[in-house]
Amino acid sequence: MKAAAQMTTGISPSKNIIGGLTRRLEVRMLGLAIVIAAALSVMSPYFLTSNNIFNILDQSVVIGIIAVGMTMVILIGGIDLSVGSVVGLTGIILGLSLQHMPIPVAMLLAILSGAGIGLVSGILTAYFGLAAFVVTLGVMAIGRSLAYIFSGQTAISNIPDALSNIVYASFLGIPSNVLFLLALYLAGWGYLTYTKGGRTIYAIGSNKEAARAAGLNVLFYSVLPYVVSGALSAVASTFSIAQLLSADPLMGNQMELDAIAAVVIGGASLFGGRGSIIGTLIGVLIMVMIRNGLNLLGVSPFWQGSAIGTIIIVALLIERLVNWRSSR
Amino acid sequence: MNDTSIENHHQTMLTASGIVKSFGRTRALVDAHFELRAGEVHGLLGANGAGKSTLSRIISCHIKPDAGEVVYRGQALQSLSARDALRSGIALVSQETSLAPHLSVLENIFLPELGRPGRLSYARLRKVAADILIRLGHEHALPLDLEVQRLSAAQRQLVEIAKALALDANLLIFDEPTASLSPTEVERLFDIMSRLREDGRGLIFVSHRLEEVFAITDRVTIMREGRSVARSLQTANLGQSDIIRYMVGQDFSTAYSKPAHADSYSGSETVLEVEKLAARPIVRDVSFSVRRGEIVGLGGLVGAGRSEVAEAIFGLRPRSGGSIKIDGKPINPRKPSEAIRAGIGMVAEDRRYQSIVPDLTVRENLLLAHLGVHSGFGLGYAKLQRKLNLLIAKLDLPADRLDANLLTFSGGMQQKIIIARWLLLEPKVLILDEPTKGVDIGTRASIYDILREIAETGVAVVVISSDFSELLSLCSRVVVISDGRSIANLPTNVLDEEKLTLLAAPRTSTTRNTDFLQRLTAQYGGVGFWALIEESEVICLSSAMAAGATDTGLYAGQATKIAATRIPNALEQRAPFFVPDSEAACATILVPMRSQRGHDLGWVGLTLPDTATLPPPETIQSQVSTLNMLD
Repeated sequence: MKAAAQMTTGISPSKNIIGGLTRRLEVRMLGLAIVIAAALSVMSPYFLTSNNIFNILDQSVVIGIIAVGMTMVILIGGIDLSVGSVVGLTGIILGLSLQHMPIPVAMLLAILSGAGIGLVSGILTAYFGLAAFVVTLGVMAIGRSLAYIFSGQTAISNIPDALSNIVYASFLGIPSNVLFLLALYLAGWGYLTYTKGGRTIYAIGSNKEAARAAGLNVLFYSVLPYVVSGALSAVASTFSIAQLLSADPLMGNQMELDAIAAVVIGGASLFGGRGSIIGTLIGVLIMVMIRNGLNLLGVSPFWQGSAIGTIIIVALLIERLVNWRSSR
Repeated sequence: MNDTSIENHHQTMLTASGIVKSFGRTRALVDAHFELRAGEVHGLLGANGAGKSTLSRIISCHIKPDAGEVVYRGQALQSLSARDALRSGIALVSQETSLAPHLSVLENIFLPELGRPGRLSYARLRKVAADILIRLGHEHALPLDLEVQRLSAAQRQLVEIAKALALDANLLIFDEPTASLSPTEVERLFDIMSRLREDGRGLIFVSHRLEEVFAITDRVTIMREGRSVARSLQTANLGQSDIIRYMVGQDFSTAYSKPAHADSYSGSETVLEVEKLAARPIVRDVSFSVRRGEIVGLGGLVGAGRSEVAEAIFGLRPRSGGSIKIDGKPINPRKPSEAIRAGIGMVAEDRRYQSIVPDLTVRENLLLAHLGVHSGFGLGYAKLQRKLNLLIAKLDLPADRLDANLLTFSGGMQQKIIIARWLLLEPKVLILDEPTKGVDIGTRASIYDILREIAETGVAVVVISSDFSELLSLCSRVVVISDGRSIANLPTNVLDEEKLTLLAAPRTSTTRNTDFLQRLTAQYGGVGFWALIEESEVICLSSAMAAGATDTGLYAGQATKIAATRIPNALEQRAPFFVPDSEAACATILVPMRSQRGHDLGWVGLTLPDTATLPPPETIQSQVSTLNMLD
C-alpha cells in the first residue's frame, strides 16, 4: 500500500505538469464558461432551463461549424475573413439549385462551391505566398457581391420544407443539428490530434521551415484548412437555411468576426501552431451564452456588441497576465 | 603599480558578487562573481547552460538578479532598466543581432537616438557615424545608406559595435561575437577590440572558442553550473587543458581523437556522389563523393557556399546544374521530402528556425521526419515505439521529459534530438551543418561519438563545419569549398588547420595565383604549379599547363606522395634552380612564396622539358617575388 502510494506520488507531479501544459488553457476557459453560466443563471432564472440550454446549443450550430474550419486555418498561421460571405454565397447557390434539383445534389453543389472558394484562397496564400488577410478580404468582398448578383438582391424563400428535416430530425431527443455539431467537433479533435494531417497542420503553424525541412507536405496541408473552412461555411449555411427556409444574400454577415473571436477565446494563437478544437468549442459556447444571456436580460442589441467585445478583450488580457506571471 | 596612469587605466569598472538567478525551477546562476577593469578584455567562459549569457544579461540590466549586487563605477546597477544601463555606458553586442533589417546602417547605428525627443539632424548623425567607422578602421567597408538586411553577418556585427560606440559605451559585452564570422573577419573584430581596449574601455568577451580566448583576452572568469569556478585568472598563465578542466570539471582529451584513415574506406561502395553541382549564384561547381561508413567534411569559410551545397542536395535550394547520385542512381530532389525518400537526412545549421517545432513536444519533434514519410492517414507512432526507445537509450535522451517543450533543453540535447529525428528513418546519407554550433564542450564529445557510431552502422555522413579542428578530428576526408567551388578533396591525415585555412582562402588569391601560373606557362611553356610540400607529400593547390607539356603527376586539389609524382628529384631538393628529372625528361625550379607578413604560402614550381632553353632562375624568382609584393 505504502509503496503504491509512493509510486503514485512519484509519478503524479510529472503527469500534472504534462496535463497542465496541454490542457491548462482549455481548463481555464472552461472555468470561465462555467462562471459566465453561473452568473447568468443567477441573473435570469430562465437561463438554466433545459429549453434554453437547447436554445444555446441550437444557436451554437452555425457559428460552431464555421469555427472548426477557422481553427484549422488559424493553426497554420492563416486567417479566413471570407467565411461570412461564403455562407451568404453558398446559401444563394443552395437556394437556387433547390429550385431545379433534388436536395442532396443541391447540398453537394453548395458544399463543393464552398470548398472551391477555399481552394482558391488556399492556393493564393500557400502557393503564391500572398498574405492570407488580404486574399480572404478580397474573397470576402467578391463572395458577398456575387451573392447579391446571383440572388437578384432578394431573399430566396421557396425552399422545400423537406430540407428542414436535417435540422429537426432528432435522435434520442437531441436535435440532429446539435448532434452533427458534436460529431464534427469529435472528428475535428480526432483529426488534429491523431492523424498525420492534423499534426502536420500544427507543425506548419509552429515552424513552417522546420516542417518543410522534415519532409512534411507543407503545400497540401497549408491549402487544406482553407478548403475545409470553405466547405464547412457551406455546411453551416445549409443548416441556417434549413432552419429559416429562406436564403438571404446578407446571410452570414460579419460571422467571420464571431468565428475568429471564438477560436481566439478558445486559446489559439493568431501566429499559428497553438490552439485546440476543444478550446474552440468552449469559445463558441462562451460567445453564444453571453449573447443568449444578454437577450434574456433584455439588454439592447446595440449594447451587446460592446459587451461581447469587452469580454473577448478581458478574457485574453487575463490569459496574457497569467502567462506573464508563469513565465517570469 | 607605481605609475598612477596605469593605475587609473586598470581601475575596477564593474564588480558583480553573489549573483543568484532562477527561471522557474531552473537555477541559472547560483553564486556568480565577476570583476572587470578598464582597459581589459575579460573572457567569460563556460559550457552551455553554465550561466554566462544570463550573467551578461544581468550586467547589461536586461534581466534582474534574484540576489547579489552589481556595482558599476560605484553605482548599484541591479535596479536599473536596460535603457538606463545603456545610458550609463553599458552595451551588449549580442549574438543574435538586434538590428532593424529594413532600416539603413545609419538609422540602425542611431536607433537609440530615435527614442529621444526632438528633431534628428541626419547631417550630424552621418558625421558622427563616419567618425565612429574611421575609429573602427572600417570607413570604406560599410556604406551608411545600405539597408541592414543586405549586409553580411560580419558587417552586421560591425553595425552593432558602431551602435554601442555611438552611445559612447564604456563597457561592451560581446556575446559569442565570432559565431557567424570567418577567420579573417574574426581577425578584424579582434583588431577593433584591441583598439577599444587601448581607449580604456572594458570589454567582456563571451565565447566557447578557446583559440579566440587566448588570442584576445587578458583575464578570464570561468563559469560552471551557475558558479564562477575560476575568477579573473590571467590568461597568459593558463593552458587550454586548464580552461577545459574548469569548464567541464574533468580532464578532457578524448574529444579530439584521430579519425580512421581515408584509405580504409576504399573498399566500401560509394553512397553519395555529387558531380559539378551548381545552384547559382552561390554554388558554382562542387563535386565530391562519400562512401559507406565514411565521414566526409565540407570545410571552408563562412559564405563559401557550404550550407548552400547541402541545401541544394537536400532539395531546399533550386539547382542550376550538376548531378546527384545515391547508390549510383541519379536523383533530382526538388523538395526535401523527395530527398528524404531517396535516403538523405539533413540536420540544418539553424536549429531554432530550420529544425525545432516549438509548439510540438519533444516526442513529436523526434517523430517529425517520420510523419513526413509516413503514408497512412493516422500517425504510425506506435509501430516506431520500439525503435524510438532504442534510440532514446542509445543517445541518452531524457525519456521522462518527452512531453516537455524542446526549447527548454540545452543546445546539445536539442541537437541530439534532431539527429535522432533522422536516425529513426535510417537514412543512407546524413548531412550535418555545423552540428556542434551552440553546443557546449561536454556535449560536443558525445555528439562526435554519436556521429562516429552512425557512420559505423554504414551511413555516409557529411559534416559541414567552420571549426577546422573539428573536421580534422571527425572526418576521414575534407572537401574544401571556396567561393562555391570544391577546390580540394584531401584525406585528413595530410591536413592540418594551417593547410585547411590556406586551401579555404578566398578565390581571389587563388585566381591571382592561377593567372600567374598561366602567364608563366604562356611565357616559357611547360607546367606551372602552386603547391604545399610536406616531408613526403605534395598538395597541389593550382596548376597551369601549356599545350603539349609533360605530365608532372600533380593535380590541383589533390595530395600526392612525392615518390609517386614524375618529378621526385625536384620536389625533394626544392632548389631555386632547375633540377632535372631524367625519367620524365624535364627540369623543375621551385620558388617559395611568402605573404607580405611573411606567412609561408607554399611553393611555385615551373617544369620545362629538358630539351627547352631554360630561362635564368633569377628571372623566375623575381617574378614570384613581385607577385608576393602585390599581396
